[in-house]
Amino acid sequence: MIDLKELILSKDNLYPLLRKLRKEARLIAPVKNEHGDTLFRPVGDIDTTDIDLENQPQESLKPFFLPQQETLTGYTINKGEYSFSPPPPAKNTIFFGVRSCDLTALLYMDLIFSKPFKDATYFDRRNHSLIITLGCNQPFANCFCEATGSGPYLEYGYGLQFIDIGDRYYVSAGRGKGADLLNKWSYFFREVEEEDQNRRYQLFLEARGQFTRNIQVPHACRKLQQEPVAEAIWEKLSSRCYDCGGCAYVCPTCTCFSVDDKPQDNNSGIRVRSWDACTSSGFTRMTGGHNPVDRTRHALKRRFLHKLKHDFASHGKASCTGCGRCIDICFGGVDITTFIELFTQQEKP
Amino acid sequence: MNKNFIPAQAIIREIIRENEQIATFRLELTNKRLPFTFLPGQFLMLSVPHCGEAAISISSSPDRLPLVDLSIRRAGELTTAIHGMKKGDQVGIRGPFGKAFPIEDFANRDLLFVAGGIGLAPLKSVIDHCLFQSGLEEDAVQSITLLYGSRTPSDIAFKQAIESWQKQGVDCRLTVDEKDSTWNGHVGLVTELLTDVTITGNTKALVCGPPIMIRFVIASLADLGCGDESIFTTLERHMKCGMGICGHCHLDGRLICLDGPVFNVSQLKKLDVMEFAR
Ligand SMILES: Cc1cc2nc3c(=O)[nH]c(=O)nc-3n(C[C@H](O)[C@H](O)[C@H](O)COP(=O)(O)OP(=O)(O)OC[C@H]3O[C@@H](n4cnc5c(N)ncnc54)[C@H](O)[C@@H]3O)c2cc1C
Ligand code: SF4
Ligand code: SF4
Ligand code: FES
Repeated sequence: MIDLKELILSKDNLYPLLRKLRKEARLIAPVKNEHGDTLFRPVGDIDTTDIDLENQPQESLKPFFLPQQETLTGYTINKGEYSFSPPPPAKNTIFFGVRSCDLTALLYMDLIFSKPFKDATYFDRRNHSLIITLGCNQPFANCFCEATGSGPYLEYGYGLQFIDIGDRYYVSAGRGKGADLLNKWSYFFREVEEEDQNRRYQLFLEARGQFTRNIQVPHACRKLQQEPVAEAIWEKLSSRCYDCGGCAYVCPTCTCFSVDDKPQDNNSGIRVRSWDACTSSGFTRMTGGHNPVDRTRHALKRRFLHKLKHDFASHGKASCTGCGRCIDICFGGVDITTFIELFTQQEKP
Repeated sequence: MNKNFIPAQAIIREIIRENEQIATFRLELTNKRLPFTFLPGQFLMLSVPHCGEAAISISSSPDRLPLVDLSIRRAGELTTAIHGMKKGDQVGIRGPFGKAFPIEDFANRDLLFVAGGIGLAPLKSVIDHCLFQSGLEEDAVQSITLLYGSRTPSDIAFKQAIESWQKQGVDCRLTVDEKDSTWNGHVGLVTELLTDVTITGNTKALVCGPPIMIRFVIASLADLGCGDESIFTTLERHMKCGMGICGHCHLDGRLICLDGPVFNVSQLKKLDVMEFAR
């Protein structure tokens, strides 16, 4: 067996390859729908599906690994016996066309969902997935992954990474399933030549040069370890936060959730996990109504400090991937970049 | 035991009515082969049919395994539902979760417990465990003092336990906020009892109760010369997973379910804890 770490796939061979993959597993890719929205969706018939590799998918992969609502267990109460049943096992799934930032977010989720206990439901899905990323040659308007170290190309974490180098893709395999896939379908690929390597490197440099937004993420993270955020900044931001939770829902690294039982009838029910966010007012409310966290001001504070201060302190890296989705969603302009800009300009108190 | 979201079944073996609001539920796993141990200060996520889960401290000592006590105050939906259950009924449990009290540091110490209401539950596990150890080992704790505050005499919980502790040499001092005709003991806040106890460099203080009580007790203990690393308390937050994932108990970079619920005052001072903001 040859070492298949990096190969070239002609664009003519992309759909034939995807057709094969679709037979092996559920295939999920960015699909443009009739409204013009690009969303990750299961690919049915490849020839009639509009797989969109031009636009940034509006949602991240988060819903596929942590669905907005999911059943963690069913329960029954039968003749005094209270028993629980596990959810159905995950399906083998191949994700194609995932942007670097979104894979980085998934790697962060792996960390969260395994400390210190492994979340069985999450890892069942994760272990049944293969992620094929597509490096970005042209960042989108709100992107700042360069500043968060999560793009535009990746160095690890993917099953396969595709880089568009003209009429062909430069494909790199990660360990395990990605390399197996290249081995299995090797006849679609050809060897890498020096010219391919040069082209890839050239495009990488060009991509990095195209970020229009200069968001000083590492600087903000370091500064947060040293000095507090001026109250005026929280006030300014919270005065325009409407507590809608939109930023947390679209954010690929906001993974907080709630768990509640939903009775189906007298003797059975399901335990449902659903998205929740530190930005919603009920998040920390305790029995009796006492809430140790002051509404909006502290809620916002939690979200930003968690990503930029605490996660930087514990993992050496902010848990913002620079995907820019929170910028689009917030009509009050209360996104992470506004916070970073205000804070990095803050004079030392 | 399964640490995930699927609880293990447990059967209610006994129910001890502590007062109008609090009852202790003595549980045993239905599957006796499931490995299960814990340390005083840890908690379980308790499932009650149709009510979801709640975090509840274990109030018995690990020496009583396979029986596990949960002392529960009727507070909302789940806690009211379990109060309606009977001996033989089943509940679900996951855990144990959280950091325990540092019982390994308690050998040869003078232990001072200060509790209010249901707050005695997690401390009870420590007291029972220390007394059990005293029966076995020479270098167990030096002395145990308990200061326990309740609203009224009829609110005093854990009477059975307190009686048995007194018999075993624990210095138990009780106080109520409001007295009635049956009461000839101390009346006033639990902090007032503190003035009568001796605190030395050998004292370790364990405090648990409503946030306001904790705050005042910690302040008084500090005034009496108790060091920040010798005062322990537990923090309560809304919890949904107990295992560091759901984010509900996040506090200033910490997760109470993993890094707590037990903290010493020196750790608390580094956190932006609302209850203790002065
Ligand atoms: C570490 C720890 C140890 C504890 N130990 C004990 C103990 O030993 N004894 C004791 O009596 N109590 C203890 N508690 C407190 C106990 O967990 C609560 O009193 C209990 O959760 C109340 O549940 P309930 O269903 O009766 O209340 P309810 O408020 O009626 O809650 C009903 C349901 O709604 C959920 N819920 C409540 N508020 C929110 C919200 N803001 N957002 C979403 N869902 C919500 C609850 O989780 C529950 O599922 C402890 C708490 C912690 C954190
Ligand atoms: S943030 Fe980076 S990786 Fe993500 S879509 Fe934008 S350019 Fe691509
Ligand atoms: S905070 Fe905003 S830019 Fe950062 S990962 Fe979340 S949605 Fe993307
Ligand atoms: S209870 Fe879920 S993180 Fe602590």
